[in-house]
Amino acid sequence: MVFGTMISNNELNDKFHQIIEQHKGVLFKIAKAYCQNDDDRQDLLQEMMIQVWKSLPKYNDTFAITTWLYRICLNVAISFYRKSATRQHLNIPLVEELTSIRDEESNEKQEQLSLLEKFISELNDFDKALMLLYLEDKSHSEISEIMGLSVSNVGTKLGRIKEKLKKKFSQFTS
Amino acid sequence: MNENELKLLWQSANEKLESSLQVNKKNTDEITRLKAKNVLASMKPVKVMTLIVGFVWVIGLGSILGNLIANHLGEASLFFLLSATIQVLLTAIAIVVYVYQLALINSIDFSEPVLTIQEKISKLKISTLNVTRLLFLQLPIWTTFYWNDKMFVAENWLLWILQGMVTILFTLVALWLFFNIKYENRNKKWFQWIFRGKEWQPILQSMELLNQIDNYQQQDEENASH
Repeated sequence: MVFGTMISNNELNDKFHQIIEQHKGVLFKIAKAYCQNDDDRQDLLQEMMIQVWKSLPKYNDTFAITTWLYRICLNVAISFYRKSATRQHLNIPLVEELTSIRDEESNEKQEQLSLLEKFISELNDFDKALMLLYLEDKSHSEISEIMGLSVSNVGTKLGRIKEKLKKKFSQFTS
Repeated sequence: MNENELKLLWQSANEKLESSLQVNKKNTDEITRLKAKNVLASMKPVKVMTLIVGFVWVIGLGSILGNLIANHLGEASLFFLLSATIQVLLTAIAIVVYVYQLALINSIDFSEPVLTIQEKISKLKISTLNVTRLLFLQLPIWTTFYWNDKMFVAENWLLWILQGMVTILFTLVALWLFFNIKYENRNKKWFQWIFRGKEWQPILQSMELLNQIDNYQQQDEENASH
């Protein structure tokens, strides 16, 4: 059933807030993978939230909310052209308070994580999306639904990307 | 580093990330008050300006031509009337096509599968090249609007030859560009030279995306055939 036909505007606002609250990590991780620059990332986060808000009345509950959300956020991230649009700058509802946490991580782990993030950022747009979904522990069938690919293609592509990353890691550590 | 270690590393870092992210209700409310952006609001000011100038040009020149055709047909040069009418028509068509394509891009439903939507957006963006093709078709008209009856007398044969060569050359170039500006020629040097400016980046980026989509779809076909 289509969401917008069932609920009032206030309920829609609450639902929007609830989705952002529950899945804030999804938005932030995608924005981080697709935008290295801080200002661009803020713009991308804003764009994603606007699209989530615009798409919410059309949300069809036969799809899992995460599938729906990943589709929107990845579509916005991939088609987001930096600074191509005139944006009305808002206060972004998501604030990262990560600096202190990162300091507590062991140096080695931190280094590995930075490497992983760097390697992911070097992938092309679709490989990046696949890798993000894989690391988020999505099943091949969920990934195929989000991406619009066959399950076997997801497996083939992921295999190649993982191989590529493994090589990069071993080059770096050797 | 093996696959499980990769996932564990990612997930442990992200658990902490999730708990450190704060959502501000007041600011999410600000997003919900945003009206859906219209086509013009999503464009760069310079593009809006170009559209306005084009629109004023079409209306202005269109009115002058209308008046000339209706009231002074016998006095005005037919070459000018014909050339200017074709120019105004081509510009008007280009503006309508451009705005229509932008409206289509803006109305896309982002909740469909990623490859489907990216293919749609990329194809739409690339199709804005059609506007450029149409505008290139105007080239020969800029060599004919100043023609007049006095030019067509026998003594002016040298002028005739020169003028004819220029017009034929412009026509050939315009037709060649019209038929050759297309996605398939994106890697040709002349194509990259014409579209080298920053304003063409979104279209070139769309071509690159479409290339990646083609690779993904080929893989799907290969998997299906095995």
